[in-house]
Amino acid sequence: MTSDSTLESPPTERADSIGAAELEALLGDAVLDRDDHENAPAIVIRPDAVQDVLATLRDEAGFDHCACVTAQEYPDRFETIYHLQSYADPTREVSVVVPTPTDEPRSESATPVFETANWHEREAYDLVGIEYEGHPDLRRILLPETWQGHPLSRDYDQEQPQVVTLSEHANPIAGDEHDTASDTMFLNIGPHHPSTHGVLHVKAVLDGETVVDVDPDIGYIHRCEEQMCQQSTYRHQIMPYPDRWDWVSSGLLNEWAYARAAEDLADIAVPDYAQVIRTMGAELSRLASHFIAVGTYALDIVGEFCAAFQYGIRDRELVLDALEELTGQRMMFNYFRLGGVAWDLPEPREEFIAGVRDILDSFPAKIDEYHDLLVTNEIFQRRCVDTGVLEPEAAKDYGCTGPVARGSGIDYDLRRDDPYGYYPHLEWDVVTEPDGDNFARLLVRLREIEESAKIVEQCLDLLAEWPEDERTLQSNVPRTLKPAADAELYRAVEGAKGELGIYIRADGTDTPARFKIRSPCFSNLSALPEIARGEYVADLIAAIGSLDCIMGEVDR
Amino acid sequence: MTGGQIAGAATLPSAPPAMPLQDTVLLPERLGELTGLDGFGLGGELLATFLAAFIVGNLMLAMTGVAGPWAKRKITAAFTDRIAVNRLGPAGLFIILADSVRLLSKELVIPENADRPAYDLAPIVVASSALLGFAVIPMGSGIHLADPEVGLAYVFAVSGIASLGLVMAGYASSNKYSLLGGLRAVAQNIAYEIPLVITGMSIVIFAGTLQLGEIVSAQAKPLLTIAGISIPSWYALVNPFAFVLFLVANFAEVGRNPFDTPEAPTEIVAGYQTEYSSVYFVLIYLGEFLHIFLGGAIIATIFLGGPAGPGPAALGIVWFIIKIWAVFFATQWLRSAVPRVRIDQLIEIGWKGLLVLSFANLVLTAVIVGLIA
Repeated sequence: MTSDSTLESPPTERADSIGAAELEALLGDAVLDRDDHENAPAIVIRPDAVQDVLATLRDEAGFDHCACVTAQEYPDRFETIYHLQSYADPTREVSVVVPTPTDEPRSESATPVFETANWHEREAYDLVGIEYEGHPDLRRILLPETWQGHPLSRDYDQEQPQVVTLSEHANPIAGDEHDTASDTMFLNIGPHHPSTHGVLHVKAVLDGETVVDVDPDIGYIHRCEEQMCQQSTYRHQIMPYPDRWDWVSSGLLNEWAYARAAEDLADIAVPDYAQVIRTMGAELSRLASHFIAVGTYALDIVGEFCAAFQYGIRDRELVLDALEELTGQRMMFNYFRLGGVAWDLPEPREEFIAGVRDILDSFPAKIDEYHDLLVTNEIFQRRCVDTGVLEPEAAKDYGCTGPVARGSGIDYDLRRDDPYGYYPHLEWDVVTEPDGDNFARLLVRLREIEESAKIVEQCLDLLAEWPEDERTLQSNVPRTLKPAADAELYRAVEGAKGELGIYIRADGTDTPARFKIRSPCFSNLSALPEIARGEYVADLIAAIGSLDCIMGEVDR
Repeated sequence: MTGGQIAGAATLPSAPPAMPLQDTVLLPERLGELTGLDGFGLGGELLATFLAAFIVGNLMLAMTGVAGPWAKRKITAAFTDRIAVNRLGPAGLFIILADSVRLLSKELVIPENADRPAYDLAPIVVASSALLGFAVIPMGSGIHLADPEVGLAYVFAVSGIASLGLVMAGYASSNKYSLLGGLRAVAQNIAYEIPLVITGMSIVIFAGTLQLGEIVSAQAKPLLTIAGISIPSWYALVNPFAFVLFLVANFAEVGRNPFDTPEAPTEIVAGYQTEYSSVYFVLIYLGEFLHIFLGGAIIATIFLGGPAGPGPAALGIVWFIIKIWAVFFATQWLRSAVPRVRIDQLIEIGWKGLLVLSFANLVLTAVIVGLIA
């Protein structure tokens, strides 16, 4: 609201973070300056000491999760921000700011320390134009190889036509992909392939049926979501976009990511009643998203025309009906508002609550069906157990979150570890499976369906009992929202696929100066080579399915 | 013309020497007799044979025509909580018409680097090899084209030609997915053809003949009688183990779940048929369904008593078709419910599991039959 309030601590209570002074002592002369981000202490470091600083922070201060890498250009400098957290406690955060001069935007790459920085830095190079020294593979990631300029840099000319002739454009199937010496075969899987779940292009090198190497190629559905958000006002115009990142029914979860970030940035309180509705809606979204994840995974393993897939669609349909009742939409909900939700439960309330209860009551029998068809099926187990293994250490290195990380035994769930909404007041468990294989990731999703159903159930109880005169849907939020200039914040929620984070830098106007989306699918997908190398082609497909990537969220 | 035929029929001696078992008169001869074509010497016989083949071929094609566009949709829909086609005609039956127009009117896209004669021949080989197999199947109600002494061996031989078609399709398409699919198809067919034939041989030991007509009539004997109801000695009841083995090997042979790795759409797009469109696609599609039906026909013939069933013998063809459709139904059931095995697991199951079991079955059968004899 007012500029003063933005500097106060955000509504949710943060754990004792490491002090900036302590950091400076730890890092010595690599530190140039201090900064203050809304979410965490920030240290400004020398661009040639990135690896040292990050390695020290990881090994000695326990910051083992490189959640996000944000790059941006100021009038006088470029800046790369590494948002570090700890898997054990995500409220322990530190932002490592690496400034570089405008005329020579070069800094040291963090990839040798955090594997997840590989893709993030490629994106930063692609969109903003910062070059990273020591990066193993610094090429464009979202835009075509032939793109001219870096669209999020200040001197980029949006009017400049990007003419890419066919002959100029690299043809992936032309050239010398025949490696006669090693007897391997290069195979393009996607971007149009039945099981890449969207326009994912996987460049695979096969030795017979065995995968020697894979390189996921993304960007086919890049829609400039970050830039669109930067051109939209905080108050109303940004909220519709999150629905379009992960469009497979995770809409409300995505909206919450933006809502949480913007509310913390502008210090907006959310009424409890709205928090309960948000929590219920978000968990319904998670249910729908997990049903489709389980269903399409069955499609990958069992084959087309399989019953489990249709069951997934069938059960998601019920959840979508409930969400439609609530929000008026089945896909692009646009239901959250800053400071609350758009409207109350549909009238008659009792009917809506009873309807959702009926849906939830039908779940145990249905989940048994999935277990019969998939989990306890011997062939299915032979296909999934011990294939596509992602070790916990590798999962952390690649910044995996959500069911993928929990399938590798990493007990990490922002709903519990960095509480928001009404989750702290509800009874539910974080599901983990230790094995890290394709099977574990499925089990996590199936069990999370049960947990989400529990949460929705409790929310319904609360909503049914809620006194009629205390049903405040939105807090009082100014018509035009202008967070203080230079307020910076990274804030994440637990999306259906993992940690969905938003970085916002305000510049005193009613639109963000930088809006960065940390997509869970993006980081999870970057671990695909680690998972699939050495497996059979069929297991590569299973691994892609078990990561449950929505390309709209990967490419943004 | 009509007069000439009747006259021809009247002047000629009746059908050739009766064989002791059912289906004594094969369809071409009966047709020849009915139409009087057998009065025209070799030419007439050829024409009658052609007519008979035409009838059987069309019967099978009609069944695949129904099975492909309509029954498959309806069956899988029933398994997956859906309704499927229901707008065109009763129960959506007219979709068959719409589908055939749609499929035939599509553009035939041929890849630039396709190896032409092989690419064009492959669909024909795939489709025709299955059709050839029906020539020796006794379908009851007098529908039986030929009954050579090596009938069973013939069926396995011609249906094995399909593998050739799949390899041709796989490499000639000049597509890596097709190639992978073709290779998988060969690996799979080799691995499963042997258990299939070996298990079939155990039936030959029972029946003492390769002639399908005789195998069928050998199953007509009562196995045992319970409360006045006589149970025929269908080989599926005599040796259920062999039946299950054969069924599994057959699913692998026709490439259906859990053994549909050669075309595994979620892995290698569509395998060997990736690059086929329009009429060629229809031919491959037809070939696949014909193979399922041929597999069903073989199973019905050597394990389920062929056309045998309650009621008059004239109903034989009805029972036979019901048995074929039961097998088809089972393939769709598996498709809905059973996960696909991975290619290495598939080969492992074939060579290390089914092959061993089928030899065990063969030896055991031989010993038991020898002891009883």
